[in-house]
Amino acid sequence: MARIELEHVNLTFRVRRERAIRLKDFILKRMFLPSKNPIMEVRALQDINLRIDQGDRVAFIGHNGAGKSSILKLLAGIYQPTSGRRIVEGRISSLFDIALGFEAEANGWENIAYRSYLQGETPASVRSKREDIAEFSELGEFLDMPVRYYSAGMMVRLAFSIATSIQPEILLVDEVLSVGDLAFQNKARERMREMMARAHLMVVVSHDLESLPYVCNRAVWMDHGRIRMMGDCAGVIAAYRSSVSGHPAAA
Amino acid sequence: MRAYLGAIWDSRFFWLSLVRMDLRSRYRGSVLGILWSLLHPIAMTAILCVVFSCVFGQDLRIYAPLVFTGLTFWGFFAASVVQGCNCFFQGESYIRQYPAPMAIYPLRNVLGAAFHFMIGLGLAIAIGLLVGPDINRNPDATRLHQLSALPSLLPTCILLLLFGWGLSILFGLLSVRFRDTRHLTEIGLQGLFYLTPIMYRIDAFKAFKDKQWMAQLLLCNPLGSFLDLIREPILMGRIPSLTSYVTAGSVVLVLTIMAMIALRIEERRLIFHL
Repeated sequence: MARIELEHVNLTFRVRRERAIRLKDFILKRMFLPSKNPIMEVRALQDINLRIDQGDRVAFIGHNGAGKSSILKLLAGIYQPTSGRRIVEGRISSLFDIALGFEAEANGWENIAYRSYLQGETPASVRSKREDIAEFSELGEFLDMPVRYYSAGMMVRLAFSIATSIQPEILLVDEVLSVGDLAFQNKARERMREMMARAHLMVVVSHDLESLPYVCNRAVWMDHGRIRMMGDCAGVIAAYRSSVSGHPAAA
Repeated sequence: MRAYLGAIWDSRFFWLSLVRMDLRSRYRGSVLGILWSLLHPIAMTAILCVVFSCVFGQDLRIYAPLVFTGLTFWGFFAASVVQGCNCFFQGESYIRQYPAPMAIYPLRNVLGAAFHFMIGLGLAIAIGLLVGPDINRNPDATRLHQLSALPSLLPTCILLLLFGWGLSILFGLLSVRFRDTRHLTEIGLQGLFYLTPIMYRIDAFKAFKDKQWMAQLLLCNPLGSFLDLIREPILMGRIPSLTSYVTAGSVVLVLTIMAMIALRIEERRLIFHL
């Protein structure tokens, strides 16, 4: 049974104005002198309570910076909550930042293996799957070349083909996905639909309000790191729409 | 703890294949390939031998194996530290996508360095057997003694692996937090190289009565005990002393505990600092 539960989850980023702390700052701070590189706290998620059960298809909507992607990364286990409890049961597959994480010197086949291992495959299962992955990516003999020579579109194709090659129980998707050229996009959309249909539980972050009601049954409206509204997909989207058109500045 | 080691084990195909790729891509397109990892310490040894045998009149048959074993160890140590500084940045794109245990990224570097070390160690053993044991220091030793002392290198290698892994984790975490770490480390390593008995033996200082403090200082360097663990069987044909094992073992133990504590604190926050 796939299940997600968040109880009183808070997520606070402590970022510095300049990226990393300097040793000088660290020492100065210890001596109670004011630092030129102060910590700024960003409360990305505040008191999130959420329960998603087997069969649910949940969409997260809201303006940029409302915490949608943060919550997705938190569900995936990449961010750990600052406080509160995260319970996730089921094998997760996440589709975000997929164009990252290639070994530039290795060729396409090798990168298929590395990614698949990270998704929990074994050498035996990779061997049985890699022909399918290669075929879906349509990269042909490019797979024998180092990924360094790939175009951005080719990398996304390969990444998408690998990421969607497993059958997840929990599927997490961010901002679906402009993958490759037009023909490949249609193919990718078809595959996404299949995957979504088979996943036991799905969470999507999207701005595509038109198509969400066809895919999802529930929606969560995020606003400044809090849940503003949660419930039936069409209803939440309607409320979000009217709020945005009522206060154009807030969009 | 157990679950963490389990997670590392579960992702073994991932980090093992990355280690393999690192080794392959390092020598991709070079004619000599893997031989380069041997040629580097050999060339350094040759240079040092020329200098020290001309200037200080060292006996090459004793001095060359001494330097070569020293450089082989130093290569592993320096790689663990310097590449360790880089390991989490190198793995950043994976860290951003998959919740794998952080310790696998330092492990990737250390296993690569360990591979080169093993090649160097193999050659060092061959040189040691070729030249024969240092009969000035251990008059009874024969090549048979050398051979029978070789199994003592096995626990040494395990100690070294843990040592390198711990170092990599600590320096990796430090340099994510403090970006100056890498540069400071490189300078520190330069100094440490001369404070470690790589090109000389500590007892060389015992001849000078007024330099005893120097010998005492050098004895404080725990890296010396690792060098003893490597050199005693290969160069002297005897099992290393218990003191060396205990010193090296305690260093590894302390380092491992520090690395575990640091990981426990930083593991969940690391991504916010990358």
